[in-house]
Amino acid sequence: MMEMRSEMAVIQPRARSGPLPKRGLPWGRWFHWLYCSLSYIFLLSPMIVVIGASLHGGEYYTAIKFPPEDPSFQWYFKIPAAQFHALGLSFLLGGAATLGACLVGIPAALGIVRSNLPLKTLISALFRAPLQIPAIVTGIAFLQLYFLVGDATGLYAQGTFLGLYLGHFFVATPYVIGTVTAILQRFDNRLEEAALSLGASRWRTFRRVTLPVIMPGVYAGALYSFMVSFGDVPISIFLTAPGFTTYPVELFYGLENDFDPSILASASLVIFFCLIVLLGMQKLVGLEALLRSGSR
Amino acid sequence: MKVRWELLLIPGFLITILLIVSSQYVFLQGSFHRDLGLGRLSEAMNLGNYFKFFSDTFYLNTLWITIKTSALATLSTILLGFPVAYLIARMRSRWAMILLAGVVVATFVTIVIKVFGLIIIFSADGWLNRFLLWVGFIDRPYTIIGNEVGVVVGLMHFTLGFGVLLLYSVIQTIPRSYEDAAQIHGASRWRVHWRIMLPLSLPGITVGALMIFNMSMGAFTSAALLGGGRVFTLPVLIQRTVMMEIKYAMAGTLAAVLLVSVILINLLSVYLLKRLKAARLVIA
Repeated sequence: MMEMRSEMAVIQPRARSGPLPKRGLPWGRWFHWLYCSLSYIFLLSPMIVVIGASLHGGEYYTAIKFPPEDPSFQWYFKIPAAQFHALGLSFLLGGAATLGACLVGIPAALGIVRSNLPLKTLISALFRAPLQIPAIVTGIAFLQLYFLVGDATGLYAQGTFLGLYLGHFFVATPYVIGTVTAILQRFDNRLEEAALSLGASRWRTFRRVTLPVIMPGVYAGALYSFMVSFGDVPISIFLTAPGFTTYPVELFYGLENDFDPSILASASLVIFFCLIVLLGMQKLVGLEALLRSGSR
Repeated sequence: MKVRWELLLIPGFLITILLIVSSQYVFLQGSFHRDLGLGRLSEAMNLGNYFKFFSDTFYLNTLWITIKTSALATLSTILLGFPVAYLIARMRSRWAMILLAGVVVATFVTIVIKVFGLIIIFSADGWLNRFLLWVGFIDRPYTIIGNEVGVVVGLMHFTLGFGVLLLYSVIQTIPRSYEDAAQIHGASRWRVHWRIMLPLSLPGITVGALMIFNMSMGAFTSAALLGGGRVFTLPVLIQRTVMMEIKYAMAGTLAAVLLVSVILINLLSVYLLKRLKAARLVIA
């Protein structure tokens, strides 16, 4: 018996560890690395430049430079209240849109994956449609819809929270549906059957088995929808009003019309905020899990 | 007890269809009226706005620029993004996480901030221009603000992070063992890429490219800020027509043309891909 086993071990191919030795020319790898470094420089330089230039030491009218001359944090203390209001509105809107997207999106994803309706592909295409419609078209479409409803009822939704909310909710929901659907399609139904056969109720099974499994998808979808809402200009620009703007729109007008160095400072704060959210997500579910479910 | 899963679909389905149909109907219907100035529309319906669009070279040129810049941005995004996505997806060290984090941050920071950075980088006395002048590549400051190159670069910044994430998830679905197998049989790196990676990832790349193209076609911010009021794409023109000229019917027409061209280009690409597949020109 022992002999046989040792013989089998000889026949079996040895388990390989680590990558194969690379064939081909060594400069091929170097070229790849160089190419990727350039891509990263291209990708990240604008943000690094904004953070660097936010340390602008000069007065209001001195030209913004990177690297800044005599760096100081002065502009961080001169961020006007309007920008904080705009940031607050963006946070609130992003959070509310994400919440709405989850409340509607998770059941919809369950419905898409688990029902067997005849026109299922058509229905899931419909749920994806808001992403296919160009963002600017969504913006003008909602604006005109609000005009029409306003003319009929006297309640105009443009420039109100509800008006902005509907537009953001509209584009945020498909992300949650997409990521949760992706996870549900790989869901092992035996897990639920096991819970049910052991006497758990339907609701308890969902709470304790299904939900924990699909949670990475929910987080990924929530992150996408929050960030899409938080950074949106083309929809918000039509639905905001003077004195009631989201942060990106405020920034947009700042760049187009009256430039103020303090927007560099607040923009840097937003970049750091994104970084912190990302690190939190990495701790919570891990980036890889986030992206695996993120392939819509 | 059997769960009626399809009941869960109903709320989302109703809300989505209500929002899509009502919003799209209103602006499409509005585009058939005539602007009377100050946002008022005529009672009668006609095709006047559409005739105006297709007989005016300015409008047609805008459509062409929109398609051209979007296509260029899509192509550049894929070319720049694929090697990065491949590198991250095939990396086994902790660096992969850090590189990935860089891409995700770049995806989530709003495009307005990135455009802001671009404007600083390309300012006339910024370090890039001073460096290029010093090296002697150029004899006067180069700028991308106010020309089509700028719009393409802006669109790329809008889509690149997203594109890398998309391609990353595509490459992750292709088992590494395929590449190993080809290598064991003596294929060079180039050959592995050309005969294994490319054909296997092509369906994913196509889907990703269409998504990036759609994003670019609807992108307003980068085109508006980097176009500098000199390059007009359809989204920029739509915003101007609404906010400055207050012509809702004409803006509706522009939006309708944009929407229809996006849909047509998507359908055409899907159709062409199917034809190529049928002709076995694409192994997929």
